[in-house]
Amino acid sequence: MMLRRSGFALAIATLSLLALSTMARAHKLRVQGAAVTVAGSSVTVTPSRDWNSLGKKIGKNTETWTLDGEQLNDVTFFAGIAPGNPLVKERSKKHAPLPKFTRTTLLVEVPELLEGTHRTYKNSGAFKLLSTQAATFLGRDGVFFTYEFTDEDQLTRRGEAHAAIIDGKLFMMTFEAPRLGYFARSENDFRALVTSARLR
Amino acid sequence: MTLGLLLAQQAGAATAPVPPPYAGAYQPQGVDEIGWWREDDESERKLAASNLVIHDETLTGYVKHVLCDAIGEERCRSVRVYIMREPTFNASMSPNGTMRVLSGLLLRVHNEAELAAVLGHEFGHFERRHFLEGFKAQRGGTDVLAWAAVLASFAPTYHTRRAYGDLELSIYGNLFRYQRNQEREADRLGIGYLNESHLRPQAAALVWQNLMAEIEASARAKGLKKPDFNKIAFTASHPPEGERAAYLADLAVPEGAVRDDGAARYRAALAPWLPLFLDDQIKLNDFGASEYIIQSLATGGWTADLWFARAELYRTRGNQRDLANAADFYAKAIEIGPARPEAYRGLGLALMKTGQPTTGQKALRTYLALKPDASDAGMIRMMLPGKGTE
Amino acid sequence: MRYSAFWLACAAGLALLVTAPVSAQERSAVKQGFKLAAKTNKTILLFRPSVSVGEQSMGGLFEPNAAWTEQAKANIQAALDRFQARLGNAVVVAPEAYGDEARNLEEHMALFAAVSRSVIEYQFFVGNRLPTKKRDNKADMFDWSLGEGVAALPGARNADYGLFIYNKDAYGSTGRKVLQVFAMLGGVAVTSGEHLGYAGLVDLRTGDLLWLNADAEMGGDVREKDGSEKRVRQLLEDFPGSDIGKTDAP
Repeated sequence: MMLRRSGFALAIATLSLLALSTMARAHKLRVQGAAVTVAGSSVTVTPSRDWNSLGKKIGKNTETWTLDGEQLNDVTFFAGIAPGNPLVKERSKKHAPLPKFTRTTLLVEVPELLEGTHRTYKNSGAFKLLSTQAATFLGRDGVFFTYEFTDEDQLTRRGEAHAAIIDGKLFMMTFEAPRLGYFARSENDFRALVTSARLR
Repeated sequence: MTLGLLLAQQAGAATAPVPPPYAGAYQPQGVDEIGWWREDDESERKLAASNLVIHDETLTGYVKHVLCDAIGEERCRSVRVYIMREPTFNASMSPNGTMRVLSGLLLRVHNEAELAAVLGHEFGHFERRHFLEGFKAQRGGTDVLAWAAVLASFAPTYHTRRAYGDLELSIYGNLFRYQRNQEREADRLGIGYLNESHLRPQAAALVWQNLMAEIEASARAKGLKKPDFNKIAFTASHPPEGERAAYLADLAVPEGAVRDDGAARYRAALAPWLPLFLDDQIKLNDFGASEYIIQSLATGGWTADLWFARAELYRTRGNQRDLANAADFYAKAIEIGPARPEAYRGLGLALMKTGQPTTGQKALRTYLALKPDASDAGMIRMMLPGKGTE
Repeated sequence: MRYSAFWLACAAGLALLVTAPVSAQERSAVKQGFKLAAKTNKTILLFRPSVSVGEQSMGGLFEPNAAWTEQAKANIQAALDRFQARLGNAVVVAPEAYGDEARNLEEHMALFAAVSRSVIEYQFFVGNRLPTKKRDNKADMFDWSLGEGVAALPGARNADYGLFIYNKDAYGSTGRKVLQVFAMLGGVAVTSGEHLGYAGLVDLRTGDLLWLNADAEMGGDVREKDGSEKRVRQLLEDFPGSDIGKTDAP
């Protein structure tokens, strides 16, 4: 790889903002074969390849992993969402409330919960649920579903999610990536991650 | 606002002007305008290929037809209509003749006359080339905002701006807001077209009354004390809805009141799309607004689609009382018919969650019988005793 | 531009006082082992470059200017023609696309922009580099792709490589430059003008990104002929097998 560096001054002027916002929490390497807990919970996964855990979090009980940046491949862990809470942090509780996971939410309703969250939180359009089926997750009865949506950057993304409700809390792993190339390329790596997930 | 316009509004409020002779194909002039047209042409290329546009000839053709009915064939030739799947109330017309109609607008108007009132208003901006003036004014306005942001930055809570973003979306989001006097002028033109058409001009005032009521309903359900109209993008720069509804009612020619509003034709044209648009609205998680829209559509008569949408809305909110209501609404959808198989799904889920597993399972079985290859059939089967092994 | 450079330098100096030091930003990279040799009869397919040029008023609104945009496009085209002659490889413009083909091309353009942003944010920007990309860098690896779908793009069948070009320029007005200096006193960076430029060469069989030049702060005043040529040189400099940007420099 050949690299060229641009002027020091220019880089500082344009990137000092970015530096301020991102250097506070650095991204971490998640090494192949090494079990690691996610989102400060009792869930552990053992990656089949190296991943990056992003420094920024979208919600209290979440953690996001990526290979090339979250626009291109986004694995998000929702590790123990308690009843009454949204999946991600609300921008404005009053003006733009997000749908909540509740005590009565059924597994078959989890896809609707994620759809409502995406439409409100990310302003995603044209969301389409492609399939929903029963599947075990974390050793419990769970749900596996696939979907597709178009984001504001005009890219259509595919997604798949595995979820289970354990002791009244929602546990879910999602994988989202552009349907052009990126989704198919890392789908198996995500599935391996799902299979490796354990609840301590 | 010019003095002339002000006087015209006070003195001549009883009638809207007959639209002036149309100037015909217009070519942009000056650096700003030529630049915007070029940018707009490029933007339209992207729009035409966007996955967020509903590429349906019949629906697009119908909406264009309603516009043409209002403004006449000659004016209509300068317009290309794109319908975007976006559940908010808006339409816009950009400098080169691109009209964007959001699906949320189609969901909220009840007949051709109301749709024509909004589209005619947007065309009024285009005919008067308000965009350019608006852009110049906006440029001054944001200069002030930039200073404010810097002053705020001296406080420790300053949030960093994104280093990049979708410039294009932000342009269309921020610039297609005009000044109030331009809104009034476009209103007057819009109703002028309607007065000359075969559609009922009185419909224009109803659009704004409905929008106001919806915003109030949304705020009430969110527990906000009173609607803050300045917080809502569409209304921030527009004349107050109350004033608007009043002068639009005044400007409509009285003899137009007996004309057809095209409600039956509108309902028929929108029927195939209504379930999708309602679903998009419900997923916005704005209970008050969704409930208002459904009720408002139901003034033309409750249908299975409307009961179903209302049931989904209540089940999504999910309080015990909501679930009981939802079960009731699903049952009504089934009773009126023809109900979608999903009505049995929703009924079953709502009943199971309110402690009625036996009747709930019966409804779920009906759902599976009606739609054996449903995307969630496997999951639903798991909820039925003795069927979990399939 | 001389003034703008002066202000930027001032701004940078002030920023240094209030923010943590950041090391230099990388801007271009080539996939390991890729070389575009001259006169090898390869065909490069140029997708309709996305170019727009305008002025940034104090508030940051973008004001497009058609003449500048046309000038920038003409300059890119002229540079590519010279480039083609020197390389001995053909540069052809992709055919106009309609309907589903246009939608597919537009989605690939959006993907190219998203990949370029990711490369800037997570590999070129040292302070924010993803751990796996840090290791790639050490191993001299540049591993990004648009996927095999590029093979179906209009015109791709008869070409070897695809060239994607994306430009967005907004020039700062005087008011904005003054604002910038005030902002610096508060420790906030307000860049004067926005100059995004991405150019990428893609293998039309595999979709692999063979070469990328991506920068959120390009140079060259594209409103003027000389500046515009400088931009094109800058966009296409380090283009594998090319001497553009080296011998052309004034």
